[in-house]
Amino acid sequence: MLEIRDLTAGYGGGAVLRGVSLKVERGEIACIVGPNGAGKSTVFRAISGLIEIMDGEILVDGVPIQGRSSADIIAAGVAQVPQSNGLFPALTVRENVLMGAYLIRRQRALVKQRYEQVAALYPVVRERAKDKAGNLSGGQRRMVEFARALMLDPKLVLLDEPSVGLDPIVLAQVREAIQTMHQAGKTIVLVEQNVRFGFNVSTTGIVMESGRVLIQAPAQELLANPEMATLFFGGVIEEKDAPDDEGPVCPA
Amino acid sequence: MRRVTQAAPASGGSGLFSLRKVRYLPVAVVAVVIALFPLLTDSGYYQNMVIISLVIAVSAVGLNIITGFGGYPSLAQGAFLGVGAYAAAIGSIKVGGSPFYWIPLAGVLAGFFAFLLGLLSLRTRGFAFAIITVSFLTLVRLVSQNWDSLTNGTAGMTLPLPSWDRAYLNWPFHFALVVLLGFSLLVTWRIRRTKFGVGLIAMREDEDKAGAVGVNTPTYKLLGFVVSAIFTGMAGAIYGYYLTFVDPLGMFGLLLSVQIILAVLLGGKGTLFGPVLGAFIIEPLNEVANNQLGGGNIRLVIFGGVLVLVVLLLPQGIISTVRRRWSLWQERKRPGLTGARIELCERPKPPVRPEPSDRYILEVRNLNKRFGGLRAVNDCSFGVPEGSITALIGPNGSGKTTVFNIITGMMTADSGEVWFDGKRIDHLHPWSRAHLGLGRTFQITRLFGEMTVLENVVAPLREFSVRQLNQTAISGEEAARAEELIRMVGLIAYRDRPAASLSYGQRKLIELAQVLALEPRVILLDEPAGGINPTLIERLGELIVELNSQGKTFLIVEHNMPFVMGLCNPIRVLARGTTICQGSPEYVQQDQCVLEAYLGTDFVLEPKGAGGA
Repeated sequence: MLEIRDLTAGYGGGAVLRGVSLKVERGEIACIVGPNGAGKSTVFRAISGLIEIMDGEILVDGVPIQGRSSADIIAAGVAQVPQSNGLFPALTVRENVLMGAYLIRRQRALVKQRYEQVAALYPVVRERAKDKAGNLSGGQRRMVEFARALMLDPKLVLLDEPSVGLDPIVLAQVREAIQTMHQAGKTIVLVEQNVRFGFNVSTTGIVMESGRVLIQAPAQELLANPEMATLFFGGVIEEKDAPDDEGPVCPA
Repeated sequence: MRRVTQAAPASGGSGLFSLRKVRYLPVAVVAVVIALFPLLTDSGYYQNMVIISLVIAVSAVGLNIITGFGGYPSLAQGAFLGVGAYAAAIGSIKVGGSPFYWIPLAGVLAGFFAFLLGLLSLRTRGFAFAIITVSFLTLVRLVSQNWDSLTNGTAGMTLPLPSWDRAYLNWPFHFALVVLLGFSLLVTWRIRRTKFGVGLIAMREDEDKAGAVGVNTPTYKLLGFVVSAIFTGMAGAIYGYYLTFVDPLGMFGLLLSVQIILAVLLGGKGTLFGPVLGAFIIEPLNEVANNQLGGGNIRLVIFGGVLVLVVLLLPQGIISTVRRRWSLWQERKRPGLTGARIELCERPKPPVRPEPSDRYILEVRNLNKRFGGLRAVNDCSFGVPEGSITALIGPNGSGKTTVFNIITGMMTADSGEVWFDGKRIDHLHPWSRAHLGLGRTFQITRLFGEMTVLENVVAPLREFSVRQLNQTAISGEEAARAEELIRMVGLIAYRDRPAASLSYGQRKLIELAQVLALEPRVILLDEPAGGINPTLIERLGELIVELNSQGKTFLIVEHNMPFVMGLCNPIRVLARGTTICQGSPEYVQQDQCVLEAYLGTDFVLEPKGAGGA
């Protein structure tokens, strides 16, 4: 679905990505992790055509998309959900979601059909359709952003730190929302700092460092790898149900 | 200490020195040509063009201080030229005496008028500010038209002819303006390097944030206005003597002010020579339009066109654009900076943390805040024990950030009190609270994007004093301390990069270094771990413990439960704008209300560091 070969790219002032290669198969959820400034978000910007690509190839379904305009890339089936505050707060939820269909705005029937589809996936869209997006809670906002990204029926969805700033209950909802998207047949790539959240929701883990991909492997395998854990995930990650000295905390 | 490995900074190398030389050579040549222009040509037409360009240039350099540095687009700069010209006219006609008295006095008077305008517009920003400046210009013109006994009304005033020998022609005017321009450039150059200048730029980038790091914004703004008007007023007086005639329409017309601001925008706002370059493009264009293109309103079409072109093609102005292109071209072949892992090295064990005292250093009592129909904060009270690391947790939308905003003074509560160290502070300005020792970071970082990382970290001001205004912004001890803070958060390689070029997580870390530079006693952190690499979160926790054992108190909003539970005690839980539970981590984790409202009834604390629940 997505293949990147030896990608070198940056913001004009020198290359931030220095030969990134990775491969995400159809139907996978891949999670990119790595130190701050390693180039994770930059990979997304490169895929979406927002920065200059100096060298290398980006293939979506075997078709090279590097050097094409952002609108072209979106039309080729790539949708991106930005890091935070991606909604227009003064517009209603419905208007925000419909904004995602801007490229097909003349095909009214298709837009309507897609709207029904995403509203079925994410009920909050229909429930809060007439409310201003600025009045939604953090988790609801994320779901509306997801819904909007699905309006063009993309093959590949890029999620930039979906977990940031969310409380534990909402985080669980967002995890479900990502799985919903996956069940709807999308291939998903996400960038996460919250390694546990990211790898637990993903099938494939990708570790980046200094503008390169260090390792790509099944997510659970990476989580269990003590070396990776010490270097990047902050200490060895123990089994989830073994918090020995904490004791059971839920009285229920 | 843990060491942070990062790519070496892209250094300027040995080419930098020669580059500087090359860059300043054209400036020197142009300066000599302009300064000696009357010796190069006898043409009165061109001499006049250069003299008026100089007048516009001095005004534009002045305007650049408040518009380019401070970010306030004033359309009243022409008014200060006019005030200066009228001051010279009225003084030399009604009182008499040498221009050597009246020119400096005109500067002082223009400064006074600017002070008034500053007072009028203190609370406005953006469009509202621009409109107030236009109104001010109109007001001054109306007064000059109607106060017949002082200004001779619409008929205008004729100034005495110059007393020097006719053989000297316009040379004295020309050289006086050249000296004035040189002097105002020198002042601008100096301001850019002082606390005053950095404070103004901080205001431009984010005025609320500037207040939060201790910049006394109204004082800076007023002072900026006065400085920007003084040289303009003096140039106006020289202009008046040169024209030997002043009248309201010529002096207080909107077009003159438009020309000045256009010069700043075209040349490059916030740059040293941009306004001068702009002036020497705009004024000749004006003359050509008047004399060769049919005069009349063709000027308006041309200025309008120039403005559109500037906005579309050169939004940063000529000098900034050229400089940017040049530096991009220079850096093309160099590798960019990217983040690498943090090496785990042995660290000295953090000293034993002192027991927090029973005394509340920070306390909120019965806070209320409504946004329309929404009660964001609802009778909220809690205290932060001195020397503690206190957490403030709660669901999204429970009012945590609003409480932060009220504590730091960026928002006023509808009712309730904020107490800091035994003093009630809810009536104080944000910068005064910062000076008392209250520092904060923001959930979505608000660094000054155009400033370098180092400038961002030296921008906070621990106090306000007049002497400080003229202090060099980045000086020895302070710069060393700022560098130490940047090194502490692991980003020393990025020291001279503009903050806007950092990634999300890196900005969070620099904002932390910035607030530490304020040397606060209480530090409010709004989601410090969000978007930060787990290894770095551990480092952050250690850093907080280290600072805490040195006596700093923390109040932390955070959703990363392993981080909060392992670090903070006590914990305050907020839901629907009110405190629903307070106590130790163990206590809070077992409270039924907290489990339902926030943690989720299936909550299990995961091991620390894995990056969240």
